[in-house]
Amino acid sequence: MAHRRWQIELGAIAAEFVKTMRIWFSYPIIMVYWAVFPLLWVLPYVFQGRALVGSASSEAFRQLTGSGNYLAFVLIGAMISTFVFSALWGVGNSLREETYWGTMEYIIASPTHPLVILIGKTLAEWAWSTVMVIFQAAIIALFFGVQFTLAKILPVLLLVVLLMIGFYGFAIAFAGFTLLIKEVHGWVHTLEWVFFLFSPIRYPVQVNPITAALSTLIPLTWALVAIRGIILLNKTEINLFQTVLVLALMDIVLLTAGYFLFIYLERKTRRDGTIGMH
Amino acid sequence: MKDKQSDRLNIPALDCQKVVKQFRRGRGFKKKVIRALDGATLTVPQGELFGLLGPNGAGKTTLVRCIATLLIPDQGTIRIFGNDVFQDSLFCRQRIGLLTSGERTLYWKLSARDNLKFFAALYGLTGKQRDRRIDYLLDLLGLREVANERLERYSSGMKQKVSLARAILHDPDILLLDEPTLGLDPQFGRFIRQFIKEELNQKQGKTILLTTHYMDEADELCARIAFINRGRIVDIKTPAEYKREIPHKEVLEIRCLGQPDVNGLKNLNGIEQVQANFNDGITTVRIVLPRAEKVLSEVIEFLRPQARLLGVDVKEPTLEDVFIYMTGTSLGADTQEQTED
Repeated sequence: MAHRRWQIELGAIAAEFVKTMRIWFSYPIIMVYWAVFPLLWVLPYVFQGRALVGSASSEAFRQLTGSGNYLAFVLIGAMISTFVFSALWGVGNSLREETYWGTMEYIIASPTHPLVILIGKTLAEWAWSTVMVIFQAAIIALFFGVQFTLAKILPVLLLVVLLMIGFYGFAIAFAGFTLLIKEVHGWVHTLEWVFFLFSPIRYPVQVNPITAALSTLIPLTWALVAIRGIILLNKTEINLFQTVLVLALMDIVLLTAGYFLFIYLERKTRRDGTIGMH
Repeated sequence: MKDKQSDRLNIPALDCQKVVKQFRRGRGFKKKVIRALDGATLTVPQGELFGLLGPNGAGKTTLVRCIATLLIPDQGTIRIFGNDVFQDSLFCRQRIGLLTSGERTLYWKLSARDNLKFFAALYGLTGKQRDRRIDYLLDLLGLREVANERLERYSSGMKQKVSLARAILHDPDILLLDEPTLGLDPQFGRFIRQFIKEELNQKQGKTILLTTHYMDEADELCARIAFINRGRIVDIKTPAEYKREIPHKEVLEIRCLGQPDVNGLKNLNGIEQVQANFNDGITTVRIVLPRAEKVLSEVIEFLRPQARLLGVDVKEPTLEDVFIYMTGTSLGADTQEQTED
């Protein structure tokens, strides 16, 4: 019996998911690296904070963020940014990898649209970063005293899902962009530092009025403020509703823009004849 | 009244009309427009094994990439069974199987079976139907025993077999084989050639567009051949018709040690064309002329002071001689790209 188009595309998404996982599992050292890297990265900031304020808590910090717990602030930022950066690296870099492997042209020449492949990669990336974040959360709960109750986890999950939908839209556009520019590392690093500067991953952006103003354009800021509010400050549902609305609107914009940009850039590379070029 | 089936059979499997493709290369004032395809036109009926023969840079791969929808041409139309490849890309992509040269076209960290499973999904093959098809192809290509090993452990020839399996995985009507034996050792090259001709074309009846710059390969496999040079189809004929293009001609082949200046040979009476290839310290001079014995002694006298002669042979013209005769370019040469500033 002939399959319908959506069935074929679902099959392709599943096949891409399995393929990505198999390739990852063929490099066990990289998996270990990605599992310990987020924590190794955050520890110097924890120690730095302690050295500066003398403990894990600061009154000046409380005035800016509402919570004096610098340690928990940075750890939550590290956890959530793991999702964002793995989306940028994984999905943004994925088509570059296909080009490098020499398989990109065979994907383009097949009846399955490369966006379908990107969805498969996104799901694989999502699954992998979720495992990493659970691992991080367990360590944070065990060693740094941050409590994750079910009442807190559910709204946080909602916010993470909303944050990541928009970011995957952004990453899809970025994947299309890499088809054109043939370079990933420099761009991802630049974006990482833009996010570090203009969103409260490592520090409260309110310390500077410019960063505070610009940070509102980045969904990560909204998500981090709300997630920290839930975990550290027990914020009310009204604040959550506002953030959910803003993130949902940003998702619509980012997903739509990501989709159309990708379509345009993929077609442009086919017109320029650079689809298989490194 | 014709029935629908015969109508369908009358439609060419592949029809390219006046295909033009230009690339912009370089930056700023040094930007150049390179005309890779300059009105390429060819029609391939169903079931034919059709060759596209030309030197490097002639436009063979560009045309294949346009047909496979990897490149969007600037002008012209490409039709698969009457359907425009860009307007009805889903239909056309489902009917095309693609094989390119080079080892790096598969996932080396996956096994042959896992590679095939992934690409099967892109063509809508799943479940038992997919597994049966993969098993059949692995058997057909002699890969069953190594099917679960990662490709990084395979030889180049084995990887090309997996690529071939991928090309025919979804049982396409048309195969685009771009230099399928390039870089393979003679044993694998022979196997691939035999498989293309006997299994895919003669037994399965697939329409095949084969690009190559190996004249022997085109001569051995193809029913008809298009000569392509500088993005244009120079001519389309059967190999036998091509060879008749230079009737009553012989080819005098002389091999000598060193690199003699052969330009002076063109001034000798009766010589129509001279081509020299230098490889590993040995020059092979091929001279097209009506009768070799008439000028043989003069040619030897001309070359002897410059190089040590290793052998002299009189041969029938090959497709390469015809190609040189018609275009003035050797198949082993790199074609100068046509540029427009």
